[in-house]
Amino acid sequence: MDRVVFESVRKVFRHRPALFNWLGRERGGETVALQDICFSAARAEVLVLLGPNGSGKTTALKLISTMLLPDAGAVLVGGCDARRDAGAVRRQVGIAIAAERSFFARLSARENLDFFASLDEVPRTERTQRIKEVLRDTGLEEQADTLVMKFSSGMYQRLGIARALVKRPSVLLLDEPTRSLDAATTAHFWATIRGLARQETTVLLATHNFAEAAAVADRLLLLHRGELLANRSLGDGENAETLRSFYFRMTGEIDEMNL
Amino acid sequence: MTSTLDKLRAILWRDLLTAVRHRSGFAVTMAGVFTELAAFYFLSRAIGPSFRPSGIEYFPFLMVGTGVYTFFVMSAQAFLSAVQEAQQTGTLEVLMTTTTAPAELVVLSSISAFAGNLVNLLVYLFAGVAVFRAAIYANFLSCALVMILSLAIALALGIAAATLQVAFQKGSALVWLLGSGLWFLSGTMFPIQSLPRPLELLARAVPLTYAIDGMRRALLEGQPIAAMAPTLATLAGFGAVMLPLALAGLALSLRRARQNGTLSFY
Repeated sequence: MDRVVFESVRKVFRHRPALFNWLGRERGGETVALQDICFSAARAEVLVLLGPNGSGKTTALKLISTMLLPDAGAVLVGGCDARRDAGAVRRQVGIAIAAERSFFARLSARENLDFFASLDEVPRTERTQRIKEVLRDTGLEEQADTLVMKFSSGMYQRLGIARALVKRPSVLLLDEPTRSLDAATTAHFWATIRGLARQETTVLLATHNFAEAAAVADRLLLLHRGELLANRSLGDGENAETLRSFYFRMTGEIDEMNL
Repeated sequence: MTSTLDKLRAILWRDLLTAVRHRSGFAVTMAGVFTELAAFYFLSRAIGPSFRPSGIEYFPFLMVGTGVYTFFVMSAQAFLSAVQEAQQTGTLEVLMTTTTAPAELVVLSSISAFAGNLVNLLVYLFAGVAVFRAAIYANFLSCALVMILSLAIALALGIAAATLQVAFQKGSALVWLLGSGLWFLSGTMFPIQSLPRPLELLARAVPLTYAIDGMRRALLEGQPIAAMAPTLATLAGFGAVMLPLALAGLALSLRRARQNGTLSFY
């Protein structure tokens, strides 16, 4: 059975200009973030959502996490509807979003993880061990007891991944997870992702990094301006370059690097 | 139940650690307590011993009024600040994706915010008695009951402020109303009987009035529960109406924010 299913999902953001900005240039209107999107992700699959800024990748992840509700269609996780049974969906999903400061600044990394693990109902008897494991997996062991207000961007990002992993979700959502990571940590992280998939975790990863997509993806969704341009498996021998040319061919954008 | 207690422990521990690691915060709060009490002590001395509102010495009258009033305002403010900060940092969105239901999370977080200010209130009252010799004749059972019922109302106010913040990014409006408009309508510094009749009637519709009056009677006059039954029943009535309404409003505003994508707007 598919673990994550999008059935004709549409998401629109309506915006009004700020008060007293009527005289300015800001205008009301709406942005169609996702337009009738259908796809599914199977158990143990790494699905990469590839697309430029504003293509709808983060919106898709937020819909799965229940941070957002769809305007039309249905998002199902493990057979549970994200709109009607949000609690059951949240129990299955872990998300690492791009917001670096989404931690409690005056708590250490370990204390932050313990706090979020409590809210995720990780049993107390397992909590210490699990936190130790995710701190090791994300290379934060040495900074475990440092207040996160002293963290760098990369360390915040690793802690966000650790937070998503500590509940051992069956569906892991990652939004540009290696954006601020150095090369060695990135390589280690990609290996971790593949390891999680081998342990039956479904991973949905949003990125615009071709190397990342080639390194971890079983399948690729190409999103562009809220539309799904492609949904295909990655074959053997595909690499960042082949993905790059595929991306520019499909989106019609100009690849200035290869002009 | 075990899980809820574990979550409450985690939230209390988070807030305690955050408070103690703001090293200067505790000292500033304590300095504020003593300065305020000293001001009220000398004010009551300047007015003279003949002014005994409701038959109570003026300094203890002021001490309980301002203590309970400050508890309400600062608790709502503390909770609102926590929500605003969570919106600004993006923590709120992440918290809303945890296994804990949003309503449970908000109630537990508000309990923590109120617990911190309850400690401040106890310190305030203790300092008033120990340092400034305020005369009290406490019935502790009545005091506890007034406090518990008042907490339900205070929780509702805090949650209502959070609701306004999530829905319109304007939770501070309610706190402003509490901070500026209600102190003179709730009998904080003088009896509401001193107000013109229309304002007195308005004051009787303010739950804070009953919380302050109840605490004065329990702490300063030692009235037993039976004698305070009407006040306690009124407080219970306010809580029974306000708390479910506030929770329903919050659930609605959170759902609307998730629909509109405005959860982290501030």
